Amino acid sequence: MMDLSGKTAIVGAFESPRRDAPRVHPFALQMDCILGALDDAGLALDDVDGLCAASGDWAEGGGTMDVVELAEYIGIAPTYVNSTDIGGCSYILQAGQAAAAIATGLAEVVVISYAACPRWWPLNTPSFDPFVFPAGPGQYEIPYAPTLISTYGLFARRHMDLYGTTPEQLAQVAVTFRNHAMQNPDARLRKPITVDDVLASPMIASPLRRLDCCVVTDGGGAVVMTSRERARDLKKKPVYLAGYGAAVSRTQNSQIPDDLKTPAALSGPRAFAMAGVTHDDIDVAQIYDAFTITPMLALEDLGFCGRGESGAFVADGNLTLGGRLPANTDGGGLSSNHPGKRGIFTLIESVRQLRGEGPGVQVPDAKVALAHGLGGTFCSAATAILTV
Amino acid sequence: MTTMTTPPVQDETSAPFWEAARQGRFLIQRCPETGRYQWYPRAHSVHAPHARPEWVEASGRGELLTYSVVHRGNQPGDPYVCALIRLDEGVTVFSRVEGVAEADLRAGLPLAVAFHTLDDATSLPVFRPRTA
Repeated sequence: MMDLSGKTAIVGAFESPRRDAPRVHPFALQMDCILGALDDAGLALDDVDGLCAASGDWAEGGGTMDVVELAEYIGIAPTYVNSTDIGGCSYILQAGQAAAAIATGLAEVVVISYAACPRWWPLNTPSFDPFVFPAGPGQYEIPYAPTLISTYGLFARRHMDLYGTTPEQLAQVAVTFRNHAMQNPDARLRKPITVDDVLASPMIASPLRRLDCCVVTDGGGAVVMTSRERARDLKKKPVYLAGYGAAVSRTQNSQIPDDLKTPAALSGPRAFAMAGVTHDDIDVAQIYDAFTITPMLALEDLGFCGRGESGAFVADGNLTLGGRLPANTDGGGLSSNHPGKRGIFTLIESVRQLRGEGPGVQVPDAKVALAHGLGGTFCSAATAILTV
Repeated sequence: MTTMTTPPVQDETSAPFWEAARQGRFLIQRCPETGRYQWYPRAHSVHAPHARPEWVEASGRGELLTYSVVHRGNQPGDPYVCALIRLDEGVTVFSRVEGVAEADLRAGLPLAVAFHTLDDATSLPVFRPRTA
């Protein structure tokens, strides 16, 4: 296999500072982000020959040919596109595949872009995603009205039963990332919270309470990738894609494995192997946090702690600045930004950390960053390791 | 039963399951080559992909594996219990648990299938505490 490690770089990154965008179409927000990322790189729209997006879900503005709609809207005719949608981590998968496209000459400058406006989106778009469509595999589950959060609740409850994980440990995830968000002027929620605050918040789907859940924002972001060679001549310090892995497993709740293992257990080792780094080399991590249980399972599947040990790992302060794995330095999805698929933000914040531009907590002299996301309800996973 | 308003879209594969459910029987599939059970129903065996699974009536007995009580869902209504149930046959199904106070829910709770009539074509299996 061709060695992709370090062959490409993220050369531009931009996160919209917006968290509310009333009556702004998500494509308009994507355009802001694309131009922002290109400007960050010192590139222009004319330089772009590749476009990656997954904009066909609710509140994302597009339909089944979303990447075509988006190309038309922004006014380009890209010769490389990817609209593979595996949920929130789609953009990490698209970065890995863009690296392969760039390294093999299929594309030269690829934009990966995302925006959604769930706070105002007026259409109850007919959706055929597996979480709402009672046909095929979904006919045995959707009639029972599972909610997205209740599925995370199934994971969290079983984690408690298997490993003695406590609501306090879950709450500590929310508290940790809120502390980071307090330093980020763009974060949606910046008021300090305590474990008791989390435990006193209303139950949504047991055992998950409101403060175990991410914010709901309008927002977006984009990154620009190109070859290692071209990256050298651009405006900012290149951030190299050193490692990448992705995997998909299930959508139906009945297929949740007894040991709660998620596809991160497949994506992570591939990313580490490609990058040739170990867990101890990771200076800073952005780990998708839709709910407090979300990054906990990722920590276990990625191998930062043992099976069932994530509760103690978080409670011991390992995710804070100065801890073993400073994580979600911008406040993450729990406190900063979560329009629906926040995988793009794990890439953007990784880039900012490696450049010393973190808007929230900045890890000093970070050289190796991990961006990890999942999709759906631990249905998919993608991991990237980035270096400077 | 609250918030159970989306009837299943039956198809060629699933029709026997729903017809049996209408008669109060819970079917699962078994692989003719390996003898192993599978859930959810498919047109092929996940244990021997070229084999067509056969329908067998399940015991309808199982135990609670994990659950989440939906206090705030997509529609108004009383809280309800989404759950994974491990059937005695070894497969895991997703369903609702009824007739148990939230405080009494626990992994390992013995359960048995019951049926709710949604409409003329559909009865939906749910699970209730098992006494014996």
